[in-house]
Amino acid sequence: MSTNSFKKVSIAAGAAAVMAQTADTAYAQGVDGLLAGIKSDSAEKRTEAWQSAGEVGAPAVKPLAEVMTDDNLEVARAAKRALWQIVRYTGWPGANKERRAVETELTDLLGDDQPVAVRREVLWMLSEIGARNSIKPIAGLMKNESLREDARMALERIPSKRAVAALKAGFEKAPEDFKTNIAQSLRKRGEEVAGYPCQKLVPTKKTDVKPL
Amino acid sequence: MLRIAYSIPVGLKQKGNKTMKKSNKLNRREFLAAAGAAAVSMPYLIPSGVLAQPGRIGANEKITMAHIGVGGMGGYHLNDMIQRRDKGQVNIAAVCDIDKNRLVNALKTAGPGVEPYHDYRYILQRKDIDAVVIATPDHWHGVQTVHAAECGKHVYVEKPACCTIEEGKAMVAAAKKNNVSVQVGSQGRSQPEAYLAHRYLVNGNIGHISRVDCFHYPSPEDNNPVPDSDPPAELDWDMWLGPLHWRPYNQRYCHGVFRWLLESGGGQIRDRGAHVMSCAMWWMGADGTGPVTVEATGTAPKKGLWDSAVLMDVTYTFKNPDWVLTWRQMPNDKLPKAEERTGNEPGGEISRPGYGAIYRGDKGEFIHWGGDGGTWAEKKARKWELPAGGKDVYKSPGHKEDWFKGIKTGAKTIMNIEAAAGVANLCVLGNLSYILGRKLEWNQAKQTIVGDQQAQRMMSRPQRHPYHL
Repeated sequence: MSTNSFKKVSIAAGAAAVMAQTADTAYAQGVDGLLAGIKSDSAEKRTEAWQSAGEVGAPAVKPLAEVMTDDNLEVARAAKRALWQIVRYTGWPGANKERRAVETELTDLLGDDQPVAVRREVLWMLSEIGARNSIKPIAGLMKNESLREDARMALERIPSKRAVAALKAGFEKAPEDFKTNIAQSLRKRGEEVAGYPCQKLVPTKKTDVKPL
Repeated sequence: MLRIAYSIPVGLKQKGNKTMKKSNKLNRREFLAAAGAAAVSMPYLIPSGVLAQPGRIGANEKITMAHIGVGGMGGYHLNDMIQRRDKGQVNIAAVCDIDKNRLVNALKTAGPGVEPYHDYRYILQRKDIDAVVIATPDHWHGVQTVHAAECGKHVYVEKPACCTIEEGKAMVAAAKKNNVSVQVGSQGRSQPEAYLAHRYLVNGNIGHISRVDCFHYPSPEDNNPVPDSDPPAELDWDMWLGPLHWRPYNQRYCHGVFRWLLESGGGQIRDRGAHVMSCAMWWMGADGTGPVTVEATGTAPKKGLWDSAVLMDVTYTFKNPDWVLTWRQMPNDKLPKAEERTGNEPGGEISRPGYGAIYRGDKGEFIHWGGDGGTWAEKKARKWELPAGGKDVYKSPGHKEDWFKGIKTGAKTIMNIEAAAGVANLCVLGNLSYILGRKLEWNQAKQTIVGDQQAQRMMSRPQRHPYHL
């Protein structure tokens, strides 16, 4: 084993061990403890809670998503930040099992029963940690007019051939007004696309302000 | 000023010269066609390159400018350029902003003969414009610089150069491919005392420098959070967002305060870090190099929309040569005290002592304050005189003048896009490490994060159609 390989394995093993240990501790407090902190009236306690959410992990994903639409803006914001904290924490190299668990929970939140704002946020979370299991549910949202652009961008970011295949399939079925967007993603991923030229340099918005 | 009077001035260079820089510079035939087709409502300006040496704007010719983003720093740049226009140095052909109020104000400031635009891409289509000054929010810098370069425009773009590693790479590639001069607005490098500091350090006055500690006061917290709302009528929210994914308008996004959001502004590290660390990289001779590891911690804001770190501590480790760069945002009472100096000295009193850097060598230390439009060097550097045989360094004629020189001669600008992307990468990597809560390894040669797939994905951020690189 080369020095580099040894280093990588060591880092991965260490990270997994640390995460398992901290997760155990966090589970002792439980998701309920986390949510109580997130819903606290105290800004300090909310901040402390969302910053510790990574250790709680996948079991907290759906409960936090519910709080993301809380009427109290600061509580909703703390829930969103907690969810992001989980995504960033489980992205740790070597934490594959934890990441897959979070990915599964997140993909469950892409259904029509969830508010658009939650699903949009989840799409961007999956763009960071999503793998093969995320592709199909994300691709399905390219049919949703409110979310299709975010879904397209999420697929563009996920580095797998399946994501490219999903973009290609989506392109075939997409309405005319969205094909150029998907073509952009496909070109970004190194695919050739006939027609639907890049629009980035085409001006579209005129001003009614007149020169002096 | 060379205004078209629907006739061709004597001396127009003909196309056919193979060294002619780009097709989007008007040649005589194109010019005739444009002028004829125009029956224009306003007189367009002859691009300076038409009259210049092939491929370059002549030394005594005026560069024709357009300003994209005219609020905040954009307003400063416009006023600065108006003064240069009034001295007969440049033409100003257009101003652009997606905030109608700002556009109207800019137009009033700039006066007659300046065309207003909402969509910067109309400016890029104009063949008579040589160069653009981009002073939009940070999340637009990469996209607009690349687009401008692809349309053959020279670019002055505000700092930080970019918000992602990918944007920086694209900017470097576009500038190189299209042979345009790019100056990034880390103007600290062009300040008189930056020259004195640089010269002092490279002549070994504090010995071998192994550590540079940047300091800065905290980023603000959002003490007045408000709910999302409809955008004001004068603002095109869709285009303000541009490359960013869509979200509802909130007045705590803009204007100016975009700085405190990680996506759009990146906090103090990407604002002042792009100044203070720019000086460090320049003076350490480290442009073109990068750290091997980046490790950051920070204190998150406790409420509100803004999410950049209030306090921050980032350590960058460089190898071959070995040195350490740190970025620390600390409480005000922890900041190094400013040197006492009278206002009568060149450079005046230190008006912004809250940021700067301490250079630690094996024979002593050196400190500078500021690092942007105000850069103040410690007295020992100001008083030091270059001995015979000493090493002198480049003395910028001024940040814009240095850019003009780059446009006219092809000389590399003092804050060229390669250097600026390198500095912005430091800021970006610092924030990434903070966000992810882990140490990152960086491969400078390959321009990539090593061994962390999530961080690698975050080196770029998919952009909304059609506001993309």
